[in-house]
Amino acid sequence: MEFTLLGAVLFAVLPLYGVLYWEARRGNAASCTKNLWDIALAGVIAGVFVGRLAAMIGDGVNPITHPADMVLIRGGVATGPAAVAGIATVAWLGREELWPVFDGLAAAALAGLGGWHAGCVVRDACLGTASDLPWAVAQDGSTVTRHPVEMYAALGLFAGAIVIAVWRQRGRPAPAVPAGLALAWASAVRLLTEPLRPNLSGGPIAWYVLGFVAGFALALWAWNRHRHGRSAGNAPVGD
Amino acid sequence: MRRTLSILFIVLVMAGCGGETADISAVPELPETTTEELSAIIARSPTPVVLNVWASWCIPCRSEAPLLERAAQSAGGDVTFIGLNVQDDQEGARGFIAEFFPDAQIDHYIDVRGNIPVDLGGGRGVPLTFFYAPGAELVELHSGVIDERTLALQIDEILSR
Repeated sequence: MEFTLLGAVLFAVLPLYGVLYWEARRGNAASCTKNLWDIALAGVIAGVFVGRLAAMIGDGVNPITHPADMVLIRGGVATGPAAVAGIATVAWLGREELWPVFDGLAAAALAGLGGWHAGCVVRDACLGTASDLPWAVAQDGSTVTRHPVEMYAALGLFAGAIVIAVWRQRGRPAPAVPAGLALAWASAVRLLTEPLRPNLSGGPIAWYVLGFVAGFALALWAWNRHRHGRSAGNAPVGD
Repeated sequence: MRRTLSILFIVLVMAGCGGETADISAVPELPETTTEELSAIIARSPTPVVLNVWASWCIPCRSEAPLLERAAQSAGGDVTFIGLNVQDDQEGARGFIAEFFPDAQIDHYIDVRGNIPVDLGGGRGVPLTFFYAPGAELVELHSGVIDERTLALQIDEILSR
């Protein structure tokens, strides 16, 4: 039963790898010499570890006296701390080529996140609040139809991944702009779908707002620098 | 080497600080129950019922206990929460309640032999969570540790019936 989580992880890893592979074949990451796959995996592992730790502390479970609880990923992973830890890990590992690394991971991260949401089909966890819309779905044995909210999120994130990958292929955006917009888009998708998820605590709305503002501000800053002829960080100015 | 020893020392001190045993004197003994009695309690309940089966030696139970406590608080009186401690003893059960369910609006019972969950349609593994609509209609049986989304969704489901 618990192995359904592993299935969902596969749903996330395959699109992540697929987009990285596609972008590498298209030469999108030509300005980046780092191994983005390794960096992405390190970011995911660090994010899950810190997110689980934060969730345990938040629930009043001492991680030092109860270290075995760390492996109970299904018990909860705090979204905000997980995202911060993942981004910080990527920043640290890619610090010599910061913006090329972030930009190189932007579309793949959205695709991976979308895959994670789509993985609800193997976890039997796609449904949200009740709805009468024609595409609403009922649980087995129930007459209450519900939003397939995780599929909404998956579609939104996949759409963002495609737009950014194609944009990087055709438009050659200013450094750091794809990374900023990817963060803003992921946060916006989660923010917009959150009211459709039943929850006990209101959800991590503040983290989503913070992610949207931070991502959008980064994109604006980078675009402005690029427009005035200065590159963001150590990446070459648009070619 | 010195750095490693320093880190080890700090971790041991922190573990010692965090390892304080919960005071079980404030937790009353759990009433023993039978399948018939528990079924009657569920059937008589005017509200939907969430029945969580747990044990003090069960690590995943520890993980979901704070979630159940939060759910019991947020559901107010709309849902009745029942905890069924199985394959355990009074001391272990009371210690677990003192540590992980200190303020929860949950009525706990004990079933030392652990037969009741099997009689209700579950298994011998813990944790288990049964979701009953009013009238003791079993809507969902969740095996293993439950996450917040699933718990919230199933509570919404039994409230909608």
